[in-house]
Amino acid sequence: MTNLLSVEKLTMKFGGLVAIDDLSFDAKNNQITSIIGPNGAGKTTVFNCLTGFYKPTTGQMYLHQAEKKVSLRKYTDFKIAHVAKVARTFQNIRLFPAMSVLENLLVAQHNELMVASGYSLYGLLNLKSYREREQLAVNKAKYWLDIIGLTHRADDNAGDLPYGDQRKLEIVRAMCIEPKLLCLDEPAAGLNPKESAELNKLLKFIKTEKKTGILLIEHDMSVVMGISDHVVVLNYGKKIFEGTAEQTKNSKEVIEAYLGVDE
Amino acid sequence: MEKQDIIKSFKDSLFTGLIALALFGPIVGLRTASKGEGLFITPQWGVVLLLVGLCILGRFLININSARKTEFKFLSTLTSKFSNITDDKAKHFAITGILFAVVFPFLPFTDRYFMDVAIMILTYIMLGWGLNIVVGLAGLLDLGYVAFYAVGAYSYALIATTFGWSFWICLPLAGLFAAFFGILLGFPVLRLRGDYLAIVTLGFGEIIRIILINWYEVTNGPDGITGIPRPSFFGLPFKRSPDEGEMSFHTFFGLEYSTMHRIIFLYYLILVLALITNYFTLKIRKLPVGRAWEALREDEIACKSLGVNPTNTKLTAFAIGAMFGGFAGSFFATRQAFISPESFTFIESAIIVAIVVLGGMGSQTGVVLASIFLIGITEIFRDLEQYRMIAFGGAMVLIMVFKPKGILANRKPTILMHGDNK
Repeated sequence: MTNLLSVEKLTMKFGGLVAIDDLSFDAKNNQITSIIGPNGAGKTTVFNCLTGFYKPTTGQMYLHQAEKKVSLRKYTDFKIAHVAKVARTFQNIRLFPAMSVLENLLVAQHNELMVASGYSLYGLLNLKSYREREQLAVNKAKYWLDIIGLTHRADDNAGDLPYGDQRKLEIVRAMCIEPKLLCLDEPAAGLNPKESAELNKLLKFIKTEKKTGILLIEHDMSVVMGISDHVVVLNYGKKIFEGTAEQTKNSKEVIEAYLGVDE
Repeated sequence: MEKQDIIKSFKDSLFTGLIALALFGPIVGLRTASKGEGLFITPQWGVVLLLVGLCILGRFLININSARKTEFKFLSTLTSKFSNITDDKAKHFAITGILFAVVFPFLPFTDRYFMDVAIMILTYIMLGWGLNIVVGLAGLLDLGYVAFYAVGAYSYALIATTFGWSFWICLPLAGLFAAFFGILLGFPVLRLRGDYLAIVTLGFGEIIRIILINWYEVTNGPDGITGIPRPSFFGLPFKRSPDEGEMSFHTFFGLEYSTMHRIIFLYYLILVLALITNYFTLKIRKLPVGRAWEALREDEIACKSLGVNPTNTKLTAFAIGAMFGGFAGSFFATRQAFISPESFTFIESAIIVAIVVLGGMGSQTGVVLASIFLIGITEIFRDLEQYRMIAFGGAMVLIMVFKPKGILANRKPTILMHGDNK
C-alpha cells in the first residue's frame, strides 16, 4: 500500500501557544486514517493546516499523486480543493442552507462547469455543449444522492434536511470535487446509532469503490474502531501513539491521555 | 382575545406615544420662523398631538393584530396570499406586467406627468435589478451603489460632449467604465463582509461624489455638465425644426411635432434597458457563476473548501452590478441633458438598497413591486412637499412590519431535478 499523504515535522504556533508540536504521520491510499485525542489536542488545527486555512509555522505536508509529490504548503485557500484535490467537511456543518440539495452539489463542481460554460459566455448563449456538460454534472449529483438515499429531496433546501442527512450531504458534496484525499471533521457528531452505522457504510464505500484516502477526526469510538485502518492519537499537539484500531484500544498511553494517570 | 392582552397592548401603545412625543416634540413642535428682525419660535402643538395620537393608534392596531394568533390576521394574510399568487403564477404576472408596461404610454389617462413618474420608477427598477446582483445574489451589502450610477452618467456625459459620439456607442463605454470602477472598489473590500463592507462601500460612494465636486478641470465641479446630447431615434433627432437638409423624427414619419415623442422614446429606452438587465440576471443566476454568487452569500468558507475562487466570484459580481448601474447612469444623463454631483448623494444609494431589501433579497419581481410602492407613494404625496418623505418612511415601516423578509421572499432553485410538477 503506497503513501498518500506524508506530514513531516508539522508545527503550528499561535503566538506563544503551540497547537501542533513536531507532528509526523503518514496516511495511505485506500485507507481510513483516524486522528483522535482529547478536546483541544490540535486535531482540527491539523486539518486547517492540511486544507490551507492555516499556514503552518514549520514542517511539510506532501500529497503523493501518480508520479509526483505535491507540497500542500504551496497551495492556500481554494487552490487546495481546486488544484491539490484535497476536500474537507466541517465540525459544524457548512452547507449552503438556502440553496437546494442539487445546487449544493453543483457548486462543488463549479470549476469544471465554469470552463464548460466558457466563463459564462457559452452559458449565456445557451450552447448545446454547455447544456450537455451541465446534464453530466446533474447526473453525477444524482449518482451521489442515490447512494445516500436523498434523491427525492434534491429540490428541497439543504437547510431543511434532518441533521443526519445534512452530514451525509456535506460528505458527498466534498466527494463531488473528486478528491484524492477526503478530510472529515467529526462526521458522526450528533448522529444517532442508526445514522452512525449508515455513515460507516458510506465511508467504507468511498474507501473501497472510489479509491479515496480518508482522514477522519472523530470522538465517536464506535465509528473510529469500526472503520479505521490506522489511528493517530494526539494530545497537547503531540503524537502520543500510532497503530491499528486494536492496538490503540489497548495502549496504555492512550488510556492515560483520555482518563488521566493514577496517582 | 384576553382582556390582559388588550391592557398590555394599550400600555405598550402609550409607551410608544411617549417616545413619539419625545421625537416629534422638538422636531415638529418647535418651528422657527423669521419675522422682521430675527428668528422666533412658533409652537405647533396641535400637529404634535395629531402625530403622537396616530402613533399610539397605529401601535395599538399592530399589537391587536399580532395578538390574534389563531384567528386570521388581516394584513399578514392579505400580504402572504399576495406573495403566494405571484409565486405560483410568476410567469403570468411577469408577462402581464411587461404587456402593461409596453402599452402604458398609449393608455388614455397617461399624460406627461405619468410618463415622467413611470420613467423614474423604471430607472429605479433597473438600478434595483443591478444592485440585486451584488446584494441579493452575492450577499455583499453595497451602500455606495450610486457611485457607479454617477460614473456611468459622467462617463456618458464626458464622452458624448467631448467626442460627439452617438448614444449607442457611449452607452457600452459608460457601462465598461462603471464595471472598471466596480472592480476598483472590489479589490480593497475582498476580505470584508457585512457591516464593514457596508461602511467601506458607503465611503466609496462619497469619495466619488467628492471627486466629482472637486475635479473642476474635468467634471466642471458643482456646476455640472450641461448640453449633454439628447438621444436620437436611429439618427433622427427629436427637434421641432431640424437643420437644413436634416430629417427629424416627426418630419420623417409625417407626424405633428410633440414633445411627447421624445418622452415616449425615453420610456421605451429605459424599459428595454431594464428588461435586458432582468433577462441577464435571470440567465446568469442559472449559470455556475450565479450559483457561486449565491453560495458565497450562504457560506464563504464552504466555498473555499470546494475550490470556488472567492476573489473572482466577488469581483464579477461587483463588476456586473456596477455595469448595469453605469447603463442606468448613461440613461439618466441623456434624459436630463444636465448632470451635477447633486444628483448622486447617499440618499439615492439608500433608496436603491431599500428597494432591494424591501422587495425581498434576490427577488426580481420584488424589486419591481418595491420600486412602484416606494417611488409611487412618494409621488402620490408630492403635494405634501417636504412631508412626503414621511410617506416614504411610512411605506418602509409597513413593509417591515408585515413582510419582514421583503415583499417576495421566496427563492426558487436555479435548477430542478424533478421538474416543475410539484
